[in-house]
Order: sequence, then C-alpha cells, then structure tokens
Amino acid sequence: MTSGTFIAGRGMLYLFDARAKLLTVLALCVMVFLPLRPLGLWVLVAATVLGAWHATGLRQALQPLRAILFLLVIMILFTPLTYRDGSAVLRVGSFVLATREALENLNVLVARFMGITYLCTLFIWTTPMADINLAFRWYGLSYKAALVFTLAFRFIPSIAESFVMIQDSHALRTSEQQESSRGTVHLTDIVPTVTSALVVALKSIPYLAMSLEHRGLGRREKRTSYRRLVARGGLFTHFLLSVMIPTVFFLVFNTI
Amino acid sequence: MSNGETGNKTAMRIALMAVLTAVVVVFTLLVRVPTPIKGYISLCDVVIVFSAYLFGPWVAAIAGGLGTGIADVIGGYAQWAPLSFLIHGLQGLLIAIIARSPVKGNVAADSPLIRLVIAGVVGMIVMAGGYYLAGGFLYGFEAALVEIPLNLMQSGVGVVLGIIVSRSVLKAYPPVRSLAL
Repeated sequence: MTSGTFIAGRGMLYLFDARAKLLTVLALCVMVFLPLRPLGLWVLVAATVLGAWHATGLRQALQPLRAILFLLVIMILFTPLTYRDGSAVLRVGSFVLATREALENLNVLVARFMGITYLCTLFIWTTPMADINLAFRWYGLSYKAALVFTLAFRFIPSIAESFVMIQDSHALRTSEQQESSRGTVHLTDIVPTVTSALVVALKSIPYLAMSLEHRGLGRREKRTSYRRLVARGGLFTHFLLSVMIPTVFFLVFNTI
Repeated sequence: MSNGETGNKTAMRIALMAVLTAVVVVFTLLVRVPTPIKGYISLCDVVIVFSAYLFGPWVAAIAGGLGTGIADVIGGYAQWAPLSFLIHGLQGLLIAIIARSPVKGNVAADSPLIRLVIAGVVGMIVMAGGYYLAGGFLYGFEAALVEIPLNLMQSGVGVVLGIIVSRSVLKAYPPVRSLAL
C-alpha cells in the first residue's frame, strides 16, 4: 500500500512555496462561502481543473470528479426537492419537481463543492508531504506533533503489509467454513484478524519508543534542522500572490 | 532521574500516537466490510474506540483525528481531511472521557459494559452528526441526510467491535496495560 500523494508534474503550482500555497488554498476555500456570483465559482472550478490538467494530465485531473460523482448525483436529486417555493421550472402534473430558486441554489452548491475538492486535491498533488509538514511547522505546529505525523506516514506501509499477511493466514485457516453462510463467516473473521493486527502493531511501540530515545528525543540540547523550505523569488512575493489571488477574485466576482 | 522519566513518557506517547494513527489509516483504507446495500463501511471506528478504551482521551483524539485525516488525503478526499480530523478527534476524545474507569490503575475497557456502550453511543452521535453538519456546509443539508444511516452503521459496528476487540487484546496481550499512559 502506497501512502504517497505527490504527483510529479510541471507548472507554476510546483514552484509555489508550500506555506504560501497553503494560505491560498485556505483563503479560496473560505472565499467560496462569501457572496459570489455563480459565474465566479465556476471560473474557479475551471481554473483548478485546467491547472490540474496542465500539471498532471487529463486522466488524473478527472479523478477527483469521479470520486465525488456519487455525491453530486445525490445533490442533484435531493436538493431541488426541498426548495419548492418560487417559480416552477420542472413540473409533473401538479407536483413541482424543481423551481428556479432551487436550481440556482443547486448551481452554487455544486460549484462550491467542486471548487473546494479541486483546490484541496491540487494542493496535495503538487506539494510533497515533507514540504507540507515543514509548512505546518513554520506556522507553529510543535516538533512532537510533526514527529507523530512523520512517523505515522513511515509506519503505514509496514502495518498495511502486516495486516494483509494476517488476513491471508486467517483466510487459509477458515477456508473450509467459507462454503456456508458468507455473511457470518465474514463477521467472525474480523475479530481474530483485527485483534492479531492490533497486537502486532502494539508490539512495535516499545521498540519505536526506544529508538526515539536513542536518537535523543527528550534531551535538552537544541535540535538541528537539516531541511528548510526555500521560496524562489522570495517568500514575500509568494505570500503577496497568495493574498492577491483570492482578493482579486472576490473583488471581480462579488455580489455586494 | 526526572529528565529521563519525562523523556521516557514523551517517547512512548509519541510512539503510541504514531503507530495507532498508522493503524487507523490502514483500517480506513484497506479494511472494508461489505454492507447489504452494496456499499462498504471501513473499520476506522473500531480502532478509534479501541484507542479510547485502552489509551485515554488524547491518544484516541490524535490517532482518530490525524489517522482519518491522513486516510482522506491518501484516498483522494482531501477536502474532507480537516473535517475528519475534527469529527473523529472529538469522537475519540469524548468516548475516552465518558468510558474512563474510576478505579486507579484500570483502563477504560475494564469499566462496566453499560458505561462503554453509553460512551460508544455518544461517539456515534458525534460522528454521524458531525459529518451531517460538515456535509451540509459542503454540499447541502438535504443531500447530507442520505449519509446519516451509513455513518451510524459504521460507527455502530465500530463500537460493538471496539468493545469486543479491546477485551480480546487485553486477554491476548496483557503487556498492553503498561502502554496505557
């Protein structure tokens, strides 16, 4: 099981400093909830989809859309049914299926949800996890919290591998019973598998704690940092961009 | 030596949180139980409840919140990551606080079953309610209603299995009590 989220690609998004990029994403995610014209929201969606296409290719760029497709369908089906007052657009006999106000509201909700999805996904795709961690540290995340974050990522593949081995060994032991009631066997398989997997994981904790201590965790000497984030062209420029983008967007498309 | 004792607890606490976070991620992404309605539920809530019953509020909050957040990021649902962090973190925190055993030296899993169930039910409400509110803001409260039964099912399975697995692990691996801080 791979825990990598960074997708190597090209474009300005990869050159944007992680700290400024994080601020931009947060600011834009907040901005979509402000009074904006629907056109502005769809321009944001288009910009992020085009950015994803340029950076990672069309097939990858459509992947977030596939992930949220089910939710979009639910929104399209259920949202108009709750806004029944107003001028009817779609009617079956005397039953109003959709009103103009409902469709306008749906339009905003869909654009907003797609915009947030693509903003967050693009940030993850174009920023290595180590840079994200360093950005959080720069913003004030404590060393211990960042260490938990890093160690968790390191342990994911090994715990996943252990789990798969345990699951396979339990499956081999219970294969004769799988002919009968599938649902019951499925459920009764879970408890021994999960218990074994948890015990294996728990057994690694004292060793990890010991190795952290051997590497000096808890000592009073100041730690050395071997990697820093470097913003090409100056951090101020990146932050200026990160403030300008949502501000200009809001000024152009606001409805106030 | 006081500095050594402090360092020992720090290293153990960090190791505990990191490993349990990784376990939550694996159980969210790899472990899927099919449901009668052709969907899947993940077993992340089992680990969150397990952490709450054995290791206390802070470990459960961090492992549950950070684990599900990381799982959302890896799984391609980055927009849910901060929300999952808050919702599952709060879920783990509250379950552990309510289930806490009044007897010194006992872990929460030693508490009476009724206490564990009440804590679990509170966790279910927090989880389903939290995702309903989050979904409501993201894509509308009407559409978010559809997810409540599935979330209740997932968290309910998590509570039941969490109780069973906690007691199983205590029997299978008694040294786990020494890991509880």
